[in-house]
Amino acid sequence: MEGTKVVIVDDSPFSIAYIRGILERHGLNVVGEAGTLEAVKEVIKDKMPQLVTMDMTLPGTDGLECTRAVHEINKDIKVIVVSSMMDDEIVKAAKDNKVSAYVQKPIDEDNLMAAISRVMDSDELYQELSDKNIAIFKESLLDGINKMAKSLITYQDEYTCQREFESKGLTIIIGIIGKFSGRMLIDLSMKTAHEITAAIMRKETNTNDEVIAVIGELANIISGNACSVINRMNKAFGLRVAPPTIMHGESVCITSPGFYTTSVIGESEFGEILLNVGFQRGDDHWM
Amino acid sequence: MPQLGFEDIQKEGISLKDDNLVSTGVIMTVGIVGEVKGNVVYCLSLEDAKAIASTMMMGMPVEEFDEMAQSAVSELANMLTANAATFFSEMGITVDISTPTLIYGSNVSIKMSANQVLCVKVSANGIPFETNIAING
Repeated sequence: MEGTKVVIVDDSPFSIAYIRGILERHGLNVVGEAGTLEAVKEVIKDKMPQLVTMDMTLPGTDGLECTRAVHEINKDIKVIVVSSMMDDEIVKAAKDNKVSAYVQKPIDEDNLMAAISRVMDSDELYQELSDKNIAIFKESLLDGINKMAKSLITYQDEYTCQREFESKGLTIIIGIIGKFSGRMLIDLSMKTAHEITAAIMRKETNTNDEVIAVIGELANIISGNACSVINRMNKAFGLRVAPPTIMHGESVCITSPGFYTTSVIGESEFGEILLNVGFQRGDDHWM
Repeated sequence: MPQLGFEDIQKEGISLKDDNLVSTGVIMTVGIVGEVKGNVVYCLSLEDAKAIASTMMMGMPVEEFDEMAQSAVSELANMLTANAATFFSEMGITVDISTPTLIYGSNVSIKMSANQVLCVKVSANGIPFETNIAING
């Protein structure tokens, strides 16, 4: 992101100075500014920036018309709207005009930089997520079992999972959505699930429904904690988790999702717990 | 669905179920987050999944439910849910969807995360499948 060439489009000298200050503090290179349609065309052609911050209300024109003008010159230039106006209709119009992100004024420095990072650093962000996600989810599962069931997990070696595999009995699937989308999957035998539930609830016998509710919530907590750690690492990830879907049946096969996922088996006193996590490179999500 | 080679789409029925479903065959779950949260679970038999994959691949015969066929029906789940997400956003409700996870097996009990599940039975070119929608406000 450092050194990214940016043009600021705004009709307020204060806003331009304020945005310029933020960008320069973070090492971006502000190469020009504009406040009218003509000035936008001129400065974009002249400076060929990688990124444009765009105000919505401009004299004699608007941010959407100016965004179209930018993309007519070069469709690869990313445009982030920075405007005090923000409602569903205007955000939809911005999306339709190929705006990459929308930040509301008054500008929060962290929000603006997270939006820029999300738009400009896709490759680096994906690499960072791929490198670190399994370690973070492992830590989160370990912590969950440790705090809730008062027990430990020893992990076997991690492996990349490209083929389908058979469920041991109970599968919990949690969809994850943010800058990149993916899933966390936990698979374990019914016997292991019963024993974990017994340890968490401190009673020996639990119905299948109770076990499913406890393991579902455990998975929910593990995925939520792990995603919070990832979001703290870099706000640009913006990961959120969907509620768990829990399945058990006869000879259930879990297929490969078409992108790399990493699996690891955790050995506990209750039996083996399989953890499988992966994210798709895919299209950039609007956020 | 017409872009995918299905001309004849019929809604066969809508019903409310509780959050425990049982299904045999192929099951795909897609997570939803945003202003509403939940999951959409698509259920269909193995034979019907192969028929759908075949239609999506321009009528190519599909003997085995292999990776290519799995990828085709996963893509269908993805596109149908993404379309629904677009309709939501046109109503002013922003939602995002996760990647689909596909499993298959017999007598699979599925627990979804809502007290009630809306089940829409659809047939596409005569191939039936079930769309189960569990949304929390």
